Amino acid sequence: MIAAFEYFAPKTVREALSLLAKYKEEAKIIAGGQSMLVVMKQRLLTPEYLIDLKGITDLDYIKYDEGKGLRIGALTIHRAIEKSPVIQKHFGVLSEMEGNLATIQTRNWGTIGGNICHGDPAGDPAPVLIALKAKLKLASSAGERIVEAEEFSKDYLEVALEPNEMLTEIQVPTPPAHTGTAYEKLMVMKGDMSIIGAAVSITLDSKGGCGDARIALSNAASVPLRAKKAEKLLIGKTINNGLLTKAGEVASTEATPPADVHGSIEYRREMVKVFVKRVAQLALERAKAA
Amino acid sequence: MDETFGNYSILGKAIPRVDARAKVTGQAKYAADIEVANMLWGQINRSPYAHARILNIDTSKAEALPGVKAVTTGKDFGGFKWGWSGPTRDEEPLAVEKVRYQYEGVAAVAAVDEDTAQEACDLIEVDYEPLPGVFTPSEAMQEGAPLVHDDRPGNICVEYHWNFGDVDKAFAESYLVREDTFQTPRMAKGYLEPPAVVAYWPDPERIVYIGAKGSPYFPYRILAKCFDLPLSNVRIITPIIGSDFGGTKNDMTPADFSAVMLAKKTGRPVKFVTSQFDALTTDLRRHPMWITVKTGVTKDGILKATSLKAVADGGAYTRISPLTMFLVGTCQTLPYKLPNFKYDAYNYFTNNPSSAAMRGHGLYHSRFAADVQLDMIAEELGLDPVEIRLKNSIENPKPGEIYETVNDVHVATCGVQECIEKVAEAVNWKARKGQKKVEGDTAYGMGFAAATYNSGTKLSAHNACAAIVRVCEDGSVNYLTGATDVGQGSDTIMSAIVAEVLGIRLEDIDLKRVDSAFTPVDPGSYGSRVTVHAGEAATKAAEDAKSQLLEVAAQQFGVKPGDVDIKDKKVFVKSSPERNMAWERLVRIACYETPGKVIIGRGYSTQGISMYGLADFSKGVGDIGTNYSFTAQASEVEVDVETGVVKCTDNNVIAHDCGFPLNTQAVETQVQGGSYHQGISAAVYEEFKMDSGQTLNPNLVDYKRPRAYEAPMTQVIHVITNDPYGPFGAKEASEGSCCSAPPSIVSAIHDATGVWIKDLPAQPEKVFWALKKKREKGQK
Repeated sequence: MIAAFEYFAPKTVREALSLLAKYKEEAKIIAGGQSMLVVMKQRLLTPEYLIDLKGITDLDYIKYDEGKGLRIGALTIHRAIEKSPVIQKHFGVLSEMEGNLATIQTRNWGTIGGNICHGDPAGDPAPVLIALKAKLKLASSAGERIVEAEEFSKDYLEVALEPNEMLTEIQVPTPPAHTGTAYEKLMVMKGDMSIIGAAVSITLDSKGGCGDARIALSNAASVPLRAKKAEKLLIGKTINNGLLTKAGEVASTEATPPADVHGSIEYRREMVKVFVKRVAQLALERAKAA
Repeated sequence: MDETFGNYSILGKAIPRVDARAKVTGQAKYAADIEVANMLWGQINRSPYAHARILNIDTSKAEALPGVKAVTTGKDFGGFKWGWSGPTRDEEPLAVEKVRYQYEGVAAVAAVDEDTAQEACDLIEVDYEPLPGVFTPSEAMQEGAPLVHDDRPGNICVEYHWNFGDVDKAFAESYLVREDTFQTPRMAKGYLEPPAVVAYWPDPERIVYIGAKGSPYFPYRILAKCFDLPLSNVRIITPIIGSDFGGTKNDMTPADFSAVMLAKKTGRPVKFVTSQFDALTTDLRRHPMWITVKTGVTKDGILKATSLKAVADGGAYTRISPLTMFLVGTCQTLPYKLPNFKYDAYNYFTNNPSSAAMRGHGLYHSRFAADVQLDMIAEELGLDPVEIRLKNSIENPKPGEIYETVNDVHVATCGVQECIEKVAEAVNWKARKGQKKVEGDTAYGMGFAAATYNSGTKLSAHNACAAIVRVCEDGSVNYLTGATDVGQGSDTIMSAIVAEVLGIRLEDIDLKRVDSAFTPVDPGSYGSRVTVHAGEAATKAAEDAKSQLLEVAAQQFGVKPGDVDIKDKKVFVKSSPERNMAWERLVRIACYETPGKVIIGRGYSTQGISMYGLADFSKGVGDIGTNYSFTAQASEVEVDVETGVVKCTDNNVIAHDCGFPLNTQAVETQVQGGSYHQGISAAVYEEFKMDSGQTLNPNLVDYKRPRAYEAPMTQVIHVITNDPYGPFGAKEASEGSCCSAPPSIVSAIHDATGVWIKDLPAQPEKVFWALKKKREKGQK
């Protein structure tokens, strides 16, 4: 049974921000409720006030411009991202990632913003956005600020939002030429939260060597984890299978994964090796084809 | 598949389900859909401890909450205990002195709405003294271990020791003797519809109970006893049931008792709907079991002897465990010839939720162990898995002959050899040898298994099914059955049998589901017994009604009753079919002119009682089944050798000897969904993970069960044996094939990778470490 709360359904960002300014810590935002309602039913959260952003149509958009890159409104549903032709064309990895995010029912109601702000390190969008060097636009009644996607998660289910702030937009820059990005996760059933997941972005230099690499892992730590040592190993080198295996091994040492009914810490470390290698391989192929 | 079998108007073909339209249009009413005037909502207060003494229960705050109409605790039931049989009545409707598993019911509330009832439950203050518990059989069997039931020393719930032939001598004479221990996990039954009930007292002497029960005459008897009423005053009404698969929907839940007690206290109807969380934490589960099989064979792979030891976690209460342990042993002598057989069974009480029947009840555990071990033996001897099975399998007895096992199990028909041959042919088994099995990180493999299951299960006490065929004066027919369709399609089969016998159409039959005020008493839907027993009752009731009508027809035509018959809704003189009249006219004449008959046909089943008597659980002899189904299955898997993820594929064939497929479509879809998919689930996905009595994955996100994405299809081959003890030759369908999936899948994993997964399920991490170990061993 959900504990009693007062419910608000603002229609504009401004209205939502003034409610947040008023109730601060006592309020919780719901932007689809696919995660929030579960924790409320379990009474892990018992907010006094619930601010439902679903009615703010201004934040439901996907915009693309070659110079500015991709802009996704925080209240865009997962299914819209999965099916967007412009995303499929220019940021295929985002669409692929969404295709394995939970069930179609969840994707049809849950929002990208809600997912990111829930701060679950097993979530899929965050590592992909980190690999794509995305930025997040946060708003409060005092103004707006931009943070790196990578800086947003602070701890398990904790993100860098002030009590009076909300996420309004995800900004994904257009990747440099010869960049390939991929995301895969270990799941038992299609749509499972990742047991371990890896997002890898590789940019090739003019000689075909690795000019830049980004590796972000899901469910490998208390936050979406950038495997920086593994990235370092790749950058500046010509990538081959041996190097990718090595990168997986290094990433595995960077991970501090949880243990639960789906896998032990040791197994997850082994899976970091497998998925970094596999996903980097795929990203490399894409970079070569790009 | 559009195959048809036999020369019947309706049977032996694909028959559309009589309940399909109501279900797909949402018209079907399940227990949770029932609303009655003035209804209250109930909730259960449950123990947070797995084992604790109840020192005090204070319900005063709950009672004072506005909207609360009544509160009940175990003491209200006056010491009443219930159980599967007389000696096993060890459970109270709500715990009184002690709780024995986590979330056991302690008190219940009826209030004006669900939230108020829940709020009131939270206000009930229970003082507990936590007790040390036992959570595995190995803990339970230790000397000095805490006792789950103070009067059950050693925590022993069930123990059997059987010995047939001379196992030791046979082992000494064997060329190869292998001993392996296998493990099967605790599993949810997997019904989509959690238990729900609405109960009320129309007057102070009568109960009406409407609930999701697969065996409605269980609550009929138990509630009569509990509330000290004659059976005539207990009315059980069965709505549409959202599947069962054994266990909870046969038995009682705290909500069943509480609904009736709270309805009595308030004088108002009370409804309980179990949440998915409560269903997954407290409903009955498949027994976790440790099965040690020791098998001796000749150099040619002929089975000489098996010694089987099964250790089971029975959970907090006995429930149906004596039957489970019997079933684990009894069919070990099928489907292969086994001249010497020993069985030692130990079922322990633990502080886990109780274990009970689930599809393939009992046989599932021992068949998994023995059939996988048979492949291990074949590998050691250099024999082919199909070859070793064909060598050992029981031949189909000639008509009139009976195959008798060493433990006095009797088989009139056995299609297992034909099943094995047809499956091997369908998957082109021979050609598979030496094929490339690895693509990238994916290894492919195929495994084989055969299985059996008892059908028309007969237990001590009441076994017969009964039926009433009521022919209405306009020619329409009411069929009153005591049997309950829990999704297996028995309403369709019973209607089809009645229509077939009467010579009319399926749509002329209106089946009345169980209402104990009107329908005949029935043992229930368990042990694959409904088609065999209720089908026999349906046949006899329809024959009874038909003979009454044929007498009238004979009079009309001036011939003897034996000279007329009914087909395609026409009654005709057999020797000159042009002398005929329409069914409706015959019925009208019977009801109005002769002078004014009421056509009611009655019948009850006898095969289960008359054939060879009943099984003796303690000695392990005799038949639990009226007849036995047989299956062979070949399963393909793909294994991701880097991650350990196993996937089953569409390359799967099941040949099933259900005697005679009364409804081909029902047999095929049950074998696909109820056998292959449930088998995949057991082999690869499902397991409750526990920590000191606490369920760690009590939701359908963390408790893995395949959905459409993970559920490939299988080809189904019908093998016809026409069993003399089943209606129209029928035996059970699809419980046997539920038992062949896990061993065939585990053997397929071995075929793909070379590792044997002896403890189910083959979840990724388990497979991963097994593969890693094998690789490291290979490097050394």
